[in-house]
Order: sequence, then C-alpha cells, then structure tokens
Amino acid sequence: MMRMLNILPVLVAATFLLAAPARGQEGISWLDNYQQALNEAKKTGKPIFLEYRCEA
Amino acid sequence: MQQYVCVRIPRMDDVNIALFEYDRYNTLYFFVMNADEQIYMRYGGRDAESPDTYLNLESIELALTKGLELHGQYQRGELKPKPLPTPRYPREIPLLVERTFARNNCVECHLIGDFQNQHRELDGTLDKPTHMFRSPDIKMLGIFLDVPKGLIVKEAKGAVEKAGLKAGDRIAALNGTTVWTFADLQYAYDMVPRKSAKIELTVDRQGQAVELPVDLPPVWWWSDVRYKQLSIDPRVYFESREMTAAEKKERSLDPEGFASMVTYVSSLAATLKSHELKVGDVVVGVDGAQRDEYARTADGFIRLRKKAGDPVKLDVLREGKRFEMPLTTYKMSFRK
Repeated sequence: MMRMLNILPVLVAATFLLAAPARGQEGISWLDNYQQALNEAKKTGKPIFLEYRCEA
Repeated sequence: MQQYVCVRIPRMDDVNIALFEYDRYNTLYFFVMNADEQIYMRYGGRDAESPDTYLNLESIELALTKGLELHGQYQRGELKPKPLPTPRYPREIPLLVERTFARNNCVECHLIGDFQNQHRELDGTLDKPTHMFRSPDIKMLGIFLDVPKGLIVKEAKGAVEKAGLKAGDRIAALNGTTVWTFADLQYAYDMVPRKSAKIELTVDRQGQAVELPVDLPPVWWWSDVRYKQLSIDPRVYFESREMTAAEKKERSLDPEGFASMVTYVSSLAATLKSHELKVGDVVVGVDGAQRDEYARTADGFIRLRKKAGDPVKLDVLREGKRFEMPLTTYKMSFRK
C-alpha cells in the first residue's frame, strides 16, 4: 500500500498540469459514467481519455 | 485536456473487461480511445519496483498529443477500425458474483484478475507463467527507456543489445503490434506466448523503420510478483531473497540452486501453524528439490510448483545447523 501512495504526488501534479489554467483553459471536467462519455464523444467529435483507478 | 472527453471509472462493476483487458494489479490505467470504442493507446503500466516507474507528466503529455493525432487520422478514415472483442462483464464471473456482488462489496480491479485465475485453476487452464507472471519486465530483455520521452531507448543491454537495439531508437512495434507508450509495449510483451524463443521488435531509427529479431533469454517472462501476491495460491507466509553467488559459495551451496535467505515472516505463519521459519534462515531445498528452471527463491518455487494445501518439507540452514522443517501451504482467505 505504501508503494501505491508514491503515485499520488504524480497524480496531483498531473491533474494540475492537465487542467493547465496557466494556458487559459478551464479545469478538467471528469465524467464518471462510461456511456455518458461515449455519448459526449459522439456529440463533440472529441476522443476519450479514460482512467481506471482502483480506490480500494 | 479540453480536447478530450475525460472519464474516470473507480468501480469495475459494469466495465467491459474484454475490451478493457489489462493487468488488474495496476493501480491506475488509462485508455485513449474514441466514441466507436476504438482504442488508440494505453497509458500506465508498472514494474515490481514501483507503481509509478513509468508514469510522469512528460510521457502522458506525449501520449495525449499522439492520441489527438491518431484521432484525426481515424476521423479522416486513415485508420482502419479494429474488430471489437465479444463483450464480457464482471457479472459473468460466477465466483466474483458469489463472493463480491452478492455481498455488496466493491469489485476491486485485482479481484477480477484473482477470480479469473481461480476459475482457471478450477477448470485446469491456469498456466502460472502466463497468468501469475503478467506484465513481464522489459528490463529482462535489456530495454531501459528514457521514460519522459515515451518509448525512446536510453540504454540497450543483453538480448536487445545483441539484436542491435541502440540508445536513441524509438520502439515502434512488437511482433507487428504498433506501440506508442510503455503501457502498449508492456501489454504487447505480455501477450507473447511464454514458450516463445523469439520476438520481433520494430524501431524507428532516425526516421527509418528497422526490424530487430530478438532471441529471448531463458525465463524472459519472469518478474518479481510479490506486489501482486494475492493473485495465485498458495500462500506461504514468508518471503526470501535469492542468495548471491558469494554467499552460496561461502556456505558450499549449489551455485545454480534456489537457496534463499528468509527476509520476512508473517505473523500468520505462527497463528496458522504454517511453519517455524525465522528471518535469517536459509532455505536450501523444498521436498528434495534444490534448483528449478524458473524459481529463484524457495517461496517462489513453492508458489510455482505447489498447490494450496500441499504439505512440503523445507531443508533449512540455521546457525550452522541443517534440518528439515514441515510447511503447510494455505489458500487465500477470499477463496475459501
């Protein structure tokens, strides 16, 4: 479990980087429903970035 | 990131595990894909040393940029869609339903892998080199990546050096499967049948595609699987390390044997009366065997070669004395 915790700083940093407010973008809006993501991708033509995260 | 639809799935209950097939012992795993469920690439993967050896901001940014490029190609019809696998869901794994869904417990990622392995054990299709040693370590081949740069090789040693891989090459495909990220490479490597003697790497060397047939070293798929010890029975309640050549020589032990020094003993060993090993003991044999084609330690040998519940006899060295010690192996508690 301790090793899993090593990843957290990376994730936090990644979230900030990817949100990239300094580049004039808004924060990331994460969906939590796969079907909703497919629908949104169909509607917008965007690709999907899907994260599986084991929170156990 | 605004160019992506981002979705985070923390529970596996309704996930199509045939489409999203990966080593469930990854704490984090990402897919870059589209609305037609075409997967462009994976991101994530790990080694035994740490879950984040191959995760960093630079490589994820590279992957996401490449993902946008591939998506553009797909939209323009330049990328041919791949056939989708027949969907499969966690609710189709009977033991997972019985032990997890029925008890309203969280369907943790690793439980899917654990119960799939348990079914394989029951129907006789479990192959430990394939199912226990998932996600083999590319360092066994001698591949050392410049991690922030994705699949750019930092150093080539051993088998890949002999095959001609060079620092600065970008690994582009394994056995014909295109790879863009470490996770892609590790997954393609994991798909290699364990009895294979050769793989074909394709690298991008200064814009030129170069094919490199690689002779696989013996036991190329071996990796330290202790961090995913829940996956396969039996439990032995101790850990040991491979002794060095000098240590073996000093004690006049078989230099090729799996003589190993006990480094950890779980308190459950005494509670369950599994064995009486102590840290510092040296296990030089198991049921008369002192060497093995695959196992490098005594606990590794037992986990590879024995079934849960098997009684075994250890040949132990302690404070200059050599004696036999019985050990009883156990099933994991969630399997009872």
